Amino acid sequence: MNKEEIWQAVLAQIQLNISQANFATWFKDTSIASYKEGEITVSTPNSFAKEWLENKYGKIIFKILYNLDKEIKEVKYVIGKSELKVLKRPQISLPTAGQLEFEEFKIDKETNLNPRYMFENFVVGPFNELAHAAAWAVSKKPGLVYNPLFIYGGVGLGKTHLLQSIGNAVLKNFSQKKVNYIPAEKFTTGVVSSIKNHDVEGFKNKYQAIDVLILDDVQFLAGKEKTQEEFFHIFNALYENNKQIILSSDRPPKAIPALAERLRSRFEGGMIGDISYPDYETRIAILKTKSQEKGVAFPDEVLDYIASNIQRNIRELEGGLNRLVAYQKINNRTPNLDIAKSLLKTLFLSPNKVANHKKIIQTVAEFYDLKEKEIISSSRKKEVVKPRQVAMFLLREILKSSYPFIGRKFGGKDHTTAIHACEKIVRELENDEGLTNEIDLIKQRIFSA
Amino acid sequence: MKITILKDKLKEGVNIVEKISSKSINLPILNNILISVEKNFLNLTSTDLEVGIRWWALVKMEKEGQVAVPSKILSGFINFLPNKLVNLELKDLNLKIECENYQNLIKGVNPEDFPIIPKVSTEEKITLPSRVFCRNLASVVDIASFSSTKPEISGIYFLIQKDLMVMAATDSFRLGEKRVYLEPDSVNISKDYSLIIPQKAAKEIINIFGEKEGNLTIYFSSNQILFETPLSEVSHPQIQLTSRLIEGDYPNYQEIIPKKYDTRIVLPIHEFIDQIKLASLFSGKINEIKLKIDPVKNKISLFSQNPDIGEHQSFLVAKVEGKPCEISFNYRFLLDGLLNIASGQEKKPEVVLELTGSEKPGVLRLKGDESYLYLVMPIKSS
Repeated sequence: MNKEEIWQAVLAQIQLNISQANFATWFKDTSIASYKEGEITVSTPNSFAKEWLENKYGKIIFKILYNLDKEIKEVKYVIGKSELKVLKRPQISLPTAGQLEFEEFKIDKETNLNPRYMFENFVVGPFNELAHAAAWAVSKKPGLVYNPLFIYGGVGLGKTHLLQSIGNAVLKNFSQKKVNYIPAEKFTTGVVSSIKNHDVEGFKNKYQAIDVLILDDVQFLAGKEKTQEEFFHIFNALYENNKQIILSSDRPPKAIPALAERLRSRFEGGMIGDISYPDYETRIAILKTKSQEKGVAFPDEVLDYIASNIQRNIRELEGGLNRLVAYQKINNRTPNLDIAKSLLKTLFLSPNKVANHKKIIQTVAEFYDLKEKEIISSSRKKEVVKPRQVAMFLLREILKSSYPFIGRKFGGKDHTTAIHACEKIVRELENDEGLTNEIDLIKQRIFSA
Repeated sequence: MKITILKDKLKEGVNIVEKISSKSINLPILNNILISVEKNFLNLTSTDLEVGIRWWALVKMEKEGQVAVPSKILSGFINFLPNKLVNLELKDLNLKIECENYQNLIKGVNPEDFPIIPKVSTEEKITLPSRVFCRNLASVVDIASFSSTKPEISGIYFLIQKDLMVMAATDSFRLGEKRVYLEPDSVNISKDYSLIIPQKAAKEIINIFGEKEGNLTIYFSSNQILFETPLSEVSHPQIQLTSRLIEGDYPNYQEIIPKKYDTRIVLPIHEFIDQIKLASLFSGKINEIKLKIDPVKNKISLFSQNPDIGEHQSFLVAKVEGKPCEISFNYRFLLDGLLNIASGQEKKPEVVLELTGSEKPGVLRLKGDESYLYLVMPIKSS
């Protein structure tokens, strides 16, 4: 007989000897914690139950046990951890008003997941369909399909939401699986402190015991060689054991500078899904979902106005909506189109929204991991020429600058150079999907910085 | 069992233990108070299986014995007796009460069915004046709120070190922390303790020990905590309150306490409280009042508006350092903190409010006193 069977036998017999109320109160959540060498340890849920079983039912329990197994010489009682806690996952309660909370408390300490992010409140549109479908599949069969899953897309488009949704869904579907969400920056800090404390092994072992590892913003691993190396080992260990790995970044693996080749190829080895800009219809759908969540309704023309003016960032879309919600709460009436326009004016015209040539050049340089000086210089190295042409193209496209102006900004080049650069990029855009992607991402960064 | 005791003494004991004896469908015995007499001591015990309270008094004893009787009837009856000698006598599970012109018989229950109050080892302990302890506990106890999803924060957090006791509570919108410095020779612990006491037990502690003169001794063990005050005449405990501890780790709240500030305001606390109360009359459904802090003119303005009632605006002169700031709070949360800070202060106290932008928590402290800290989250500004 194993521990469970012994205890079941005890419970079955003891029921006959005591009242139902007493049985329900004192024997609930009890079990045998260990059984060896004639000594049985009974685990009880609290100290009242422990005292009671020990003092009132001790003899009768011992008698039953002895009859079951003559080798039992001693029965001990301990207070065990109640096992209920593991099953309970925090439920979300969306705050009705604008009262802010200590967000840190909501995050599950073990998994780092914020329960607010779920598939249920993730709006799917053509722009994120693929990523969403892959994420959904992964949450159903972690480790078996699409491993690793790599999701990339610009700022404020829902990468983190999608990643955390997978984690939360896995926890819901498979409560025993160990999930861990960690932003790459925190991971780096972990590596650094493990090196400091001479506990790199412990650090690695901790991560190798995880079933689903979610690493957010892997582009921050760029240039951190030791972290990359540690991550490489963890990655391999997990991958070999069919553990799911999920990664996100603001650009495809190819475009992450200073990333070890072996990591890059591994990132590309599973499934890569991108999240691009939401189209107009999806933006409207998002606005409608969000306003429903907040319990307010706005006229269609107002939503249309927000959706057509904020195109590149879902977070900002929500920000715009929040302003209108606040207006409605204070004045107790729904803002019409004119009011919405004046309320949102500052949002659209905030100074950092306006791109200028400096910002464009700076962003392009950062994106390709070059120095600004190099882009402006007259170097004809291949790795500089292309970024320079991209920058010229963007100056022309975004700012509608004249070719002579563009030429001047790049170290006094001739306007024909600028024309050539722009035409070349336009030509390449038609054939090269990768370039289209890169330019999209650069634009996102220009407008979101 | 046969004893004689003064009515007031008996009433004191019954009132202390009666509060936690509760209606329980599963275990009706919990509605009872266990009365036991042993070696010249009368002992009253009650429990709700979370908290257990025991009370002792020296009595004139003729015969030992014990019985459990329903608490409501016992306390209701004893409260109305004249302050004379009361005789208690047990006859076959019936408790006979005699006092001057009154004679009663209360049907008792088998004392063997009464739960056993868990023992707490008495090795690890600290001692401090019970009033001081309760006053400090009272400044955080109401902040905790029941949460089934996060049982940890529905209790009061305690950290006990060699010379310091920290109490903290939060409901995830605000957080209060009180630090109490301990006399080194009153502390007898071998390691630091961090534990969580259920809010109900903490409130009961304040009720029972809050007005008591003398010292309170706290004993620690892994799942239980014991609070004890001694009898004045002999060395024997008078009241013992044991409580279960909440399992789990308290959130690392130190992380959320801002280390620096953008705006710092110092102002007289009572005037601030009055203005908030005024402004609260005009605040809307979500209790929102807005503060506007102007470092140039050194003033803080309060706004509130309610579409159905009207609007309010007032200002206070204050010492302001740093950036201008606009921030909205739930006035109840602000008031709770300010009232906790103001309580027990005799002179005209000043409060320090530190802010870091309109979406980060505000910190309230008494000026010149770092021991109490109140952190409150704003309402998202409109």
